[in-house]
Amino acid sequence: MNMVVCVKRVPDTAEAEVHIDASGKDIEKSRLSFKINECDNYAVEEAIQIKERLGGTVTVISLGPKENDEVIRMALAKGGDEAIRLEDEAFAGGDGFAVAKALAAAIKGMEFDIVFTGALADDDGYAVVPAALGELLGVPHATYVKKVEILEDGKRARVGRELEGGLLEFLEIDLPCVLGIQTGINEPRYASFKGIKQAAKKEIAVKSAADLGVDASEVGEAGSWAVLEKFTPPVVGEMAEILEGDPEETAAKLAAILKEKGLV
Amino acid sequence: MCAEELDFITKYDLLGCIQCGRCTGGCPVAMRTPLRVRCFMYDTQNQERLEELSERPEIWDCTTCYTCAARCPKGLEPLEVLIGLRSIQIEEGRVQPTVRDALESIFRDGNPWGSPRAKRLDWVKDLEVKVLEPEAEEVTDVLLFICCTDAYDPRVMKVAQSLVKVLQAWGVDFGLIGEDESCCGSEVRRLGEEGLFEMCDEENVELLNSFNVNRIVAISPHCYNTLKKEYHGLKHPVLHYTELVAQLLEDGKLQLKGELPKVVTYHDPCFLGKQNDIYDEPRYIITRIPGVEFREFDRCRERSLCCEGGGGKMWVESESKEERLAEIRVTDAKELGAEVIAVACPFCLLPLEDATKVKGIEEEMRVADILELLAEAL
Amino acid sequence: MKDIFVLIEHRRGEMRDVSIEMLCGAAGLGGTVVAVLLGKDVDAFAEKAAGYADKVLYVNDPMFENYNSEAYQKALSALIKEHNPGLVLIGNTAQGIDLAPALAVELGAPLVTDVTALEMEGDKPKPTRQFYGGKLDAHMVMKDADLYILTVREATFQAGEPSKSGEIVKVENPVKEEITYRKFVEYVEPEVGEVDITQSTMLVGVGRGIREDKNLPIVEELAKVLGADLAASRAVVDAGWLPADRQVGISGKTVKPKLYLAVGISGAFQHVTGMKGSEVIVAINKDPDAPIFGIADYGIVDDLFKVVPKLTEKIKELKGL
Ligand SMILES: Cc1cc2nc3c(=O)[nH]c(=O)nc-3n(C[C@H](O)[C@H](O)[C@H](O)COP(=O)(O)OP(=O)(O)OC[C@H]3O[C@@H](n4cnc5c(N)ncnc54)[C@H](O)[C@@H]3O)c2cc1C
Ligand SMILES: Cc1cc2nc3c(=O)[nH]c(=O)nc-3n(C[C@H](O)[C@H](O)[C@H](O)COP(=O)(O)OP(=O)(O)OC[C@H]3O[C@@H](n4cnc5c(N)ncnc54)[C@H](O)[C@@H]3O)c2cc1C
Ligand code: SF4
Ligand code: SF4
Repeated sequence: MNMVVCVKRVPDTAEAEVHIDASGKDIEKSRLSFKINECDNYAVEEAIQIKERLGGTVTVISLGPKENDEVIRMALAKGGDEAIRLEDEAFAGGDGFAVAKALAAAIKGMEFDIVFTGALADDDGYAVVPAALGELLGVPHATYVKKVEILEDGKRARVGRELEGGLLEFLEIDLPCVLGIQTGINEPRYASFKGIKQAAKKEIAVKSAADLGVDASEVGEAGSWAVLEKFTPPVVGEMAEILEGDPEETAAKLAAILKEKGLV
Repeated sequence: MCAEELDFITKYDLLGCIQCGRCTGGCPVAMRTPLRVRCFMYDTQNQERLEELSERPEIWDCTTCYTCAARCPKGLEPLEVLIGLRSIQIEEGRVQPTVRDALESIFRDGNPWGSPRAKRLDWVKDLEVKVLEPEAEEVTDVLLFICCTDAYDPRVMKVAQSLVKVLQAWGVDFGLIGEDESCCGSEVRRLGEEGLFEMCDEENVELLNSFNVNRIVAISPHCYNTLKKEYHGLKHPVLHYTELVAQLLEDGKLQLKGELPKVVTYHDPCFLGKQNDIYDEPRYIITRIPGVEFREFDRCRERSLCCEGGGGKMWVESESKEERLAEIRVTDAKELGAEVIAVACPFCLLPLEDATKVKGIEEEMRVADILELLAEAL
Repeated sequence: MKDIFVLIEHRRGEMRDVSIEMLCGAAGLGGTVVAVLLGKDVDAFAEKAAGYADKVLYVNDPMFENYNSEAYQKALSALIKEHNPGLVLIGNTAQGIDLAPALAVELGAPLVTDVTALEMEGDKPKPTRQFYGGKLDAHMVMKDADLYILTVREATFQAGEPSKSGEIVKVENPVKEEITYRKFVEYVEPEVGEVDITQSTMLVGVGRGIREDKNLPIVEELAKVLGADLAASRAVVDAGWLPADRQVGISGKTVKPKLYLAVGISGAFQHVTGMKGSEVIVAINKDPDAPIFGIADYGIVDDLFKVVPKLTEKIKELKGL
């Protein structure tokens, strides 16, 4: 199996306070730490486990600045073979479509059986790349993938997609294909510090828009379906909103809130 | 992995072991888990078995309390063999998700709790504390090295806040590192992540050396032990807070006004007592608090029972269903008639306090850091 | 204003709420609302949709018995080319997100996913969506085009009462060839019994406040009506009331469900570290100073033994159970 994994580096905002910067279109990132997008970490693990079972290669691709090398190296330390980083000013401000076009251009010339992506990005959460990439590469795709089994002929895979409520939808899909991986499909391994340092010896090929043969107007903000006009903070409180009343009332209020949030 | 790294015989002087069994005999977790450290001293001599031995779950039961090493007649350090086996698992990436997440968080954010650096100073709240500038001209007497647990765990934050209050009351000239402060790596090393520990060592030594201070005072015995004994090239002397405070009390510059009319016992942290022979200072401080009636545990000082808070145990739950050592400890304290268990380590505070709840005696038995008792007595 | 297409989503004989919500939302945007229904013998859905739409395009074909994004994409793109709508709304669901991006690429239509609020500027949508796990609202400007596609998050629009009686137009399946490269095989229910709480979308976390294991049924009942799994603090696991694999926290599991309902949990740091990433956190605790309220979104300060049964009752009512 020859596999490609697309990994994104995202700011970790789970616990941090997010502040909109002066432009109104971005957040202040200087105090944030960055990490591999969560489901991409599972995608890397899935590719490496398949390689361990069936042989083949794993190529890691990430679009973004030099800092992305850190997440690439982690993937290499875990068992990735080659790495490509796409970097160009022209890529800036792109949405999922623009990123998918750049990724497709990089992958097109390669021989691959499966391209793995994460199901969605933790920061902007477009969840566009897997299906868009499949379409751009002209191969079938499936997203929210929670189970991958390569069938015996090596030309098809049995894939389980996770639907609402945890129901798994199984399908058979021809290879080559694009699979958008959901968290929880496996248990990602740890990349030790020594392992990452050793992986630093592997070369990461850096490619620009021109190297990929894509026009600057096709990628980045210019090539996007939509651009951000501005960010605004949603209205939420710091502490819990305490629901007042007797048990009858508080229970009714809570039930109504859960309903409004689509949780009931 | 290269053969040299795997050669446990040379690395841990395994042939020096006479299989006397004193290590297992003293090992506190041998009471409740299948860990028999003596067997590992023998079995790891066989290179071919290392892989298999490293897969045994009990190697994660060791709390790195150091009792085995303290008791070994041959001066060996059996616990290091267990850490070596953990390293094998770490290098293969096969560790529990909790351990993986803690280590990745240290690598990224300098703390094991998955919390952002930007929140490192949240514990300071409205206290006014100087944050030190690197390469400052003016000398500051004391640099406080705050443990990640003190900085992020709301319960333990109170201990760090108490330390600030105590030092301010005495007029000590001190400062903090601020958001650039990173995990000391004590637990990193004990979880077997050697490479990451080297990073902690290098980066922290460079950072600490950049401050113009007379000495470093660590709030946690784990940081203290690592800064003092495991780092390379640190130029400032390192003290545990109990050493500094005992000295201040001795100088008699400040009288404690508050009263603590309670029966207090003291739980020796392994990293302060067994590993650094600091036994008297904490007792000296406690007995200076007016009103305190001090009683010793039967198992105290070098024989003190480990609370199971260290050695990575924060992240690895033992499979054993036997009573936790911390529970035994609080039961002992109750039998002693103690009303307060004083501790001097964040990793002791948490398991012991937890154990009082398990035993349902949290109303009658308080677990507090010496600093909290002291701050209340100012 | 051009027509608005709304894709009706259904699975195993059930139509999803988001479909009706989108029809109601679309009705407020101006333009003719066309429900598009692909399925096999789902006349009842066609009739239901007709109550909310000006027109229903209904393709009845065995090909659509179960969802297959490739078949859906082919059918939709043919219908869109034929009817030329200005806007297509698709649910931001596991199905929708498997379909919309590929459809948008094929049609060259700008797409914005996971829309949480929507305004129109003439024919052009101005969607709002969320970034950074809901920490910011992002106001998006779409590229000018003749056709726009949006995937809409559940509960963005309110489902109202049926007020229309749209014409149901039966359309021949525009997809002629069998799709062999991606085939539906089967649905597999999540295994019961072997719950993996890291994968649960809803969790009820139980703490020492429950006092005894014989009290567990009251939270089990709540979990059941919510469709949630039970998680626990270490205190509960140590007491042997729930198995160790239900423990959340630094030495247990890290969970990120959509809902974490903490019942009788104080919120010790060791516990909170394992669940702070949950989307919505609700706490029920009798102690107003319990640290859990510091990270919860909603709280009830009261005796859990009084509140939990009431809550179970209310949710049953809402769900019509
Ligand atoms: C306002 C704004 C500013 C931006 N600024 C920058 C910027 O300065 N620099 C920059 O690089 N990007 C920038 N982007 C691009 C953005 O961060 C995303 O990469 C892009 O929107 C892709 O969508 P997504 O990540 O949501 O895709 P999703 O479809 O949600 O992601 C799914 C999967 O696609 C893959 N994927 C997504 N992005 C990448 C990537 N970059 N490399 C490899 N695989 C990927 C991953 O496997 C991921 O799990 C900006 C976007 C916006 C809207
Ligand atoms: C090394 C270490 C690791 C640990 N790892 C974990 C871990 O992974 N996960 C974990 O959960 N804990 C862990 N702990 C334990 C943790 O510190 C807490 O002790 C534990 O989470 C407390 O559980 P609790 O909230 O259920 O109980 P308590 O703290 O006792 O809280 C019970 C709560 O219930 C409320 N209550 C009581 N009765 C009622 C009622 N009738 N109605 C409403 N509310 C009521 C009380 O007000 C109280 O807030 C760890 C501790 C240590 C030392
Ligand atoms: S105490 Fe020392 S010499 Fe004795 S068995 Fe243990 S390691 Fe060997
Ligand atoms: S360090 Fe302590 S717990 Fe570990 S083996 Fe030695 S005595 Fe046992």
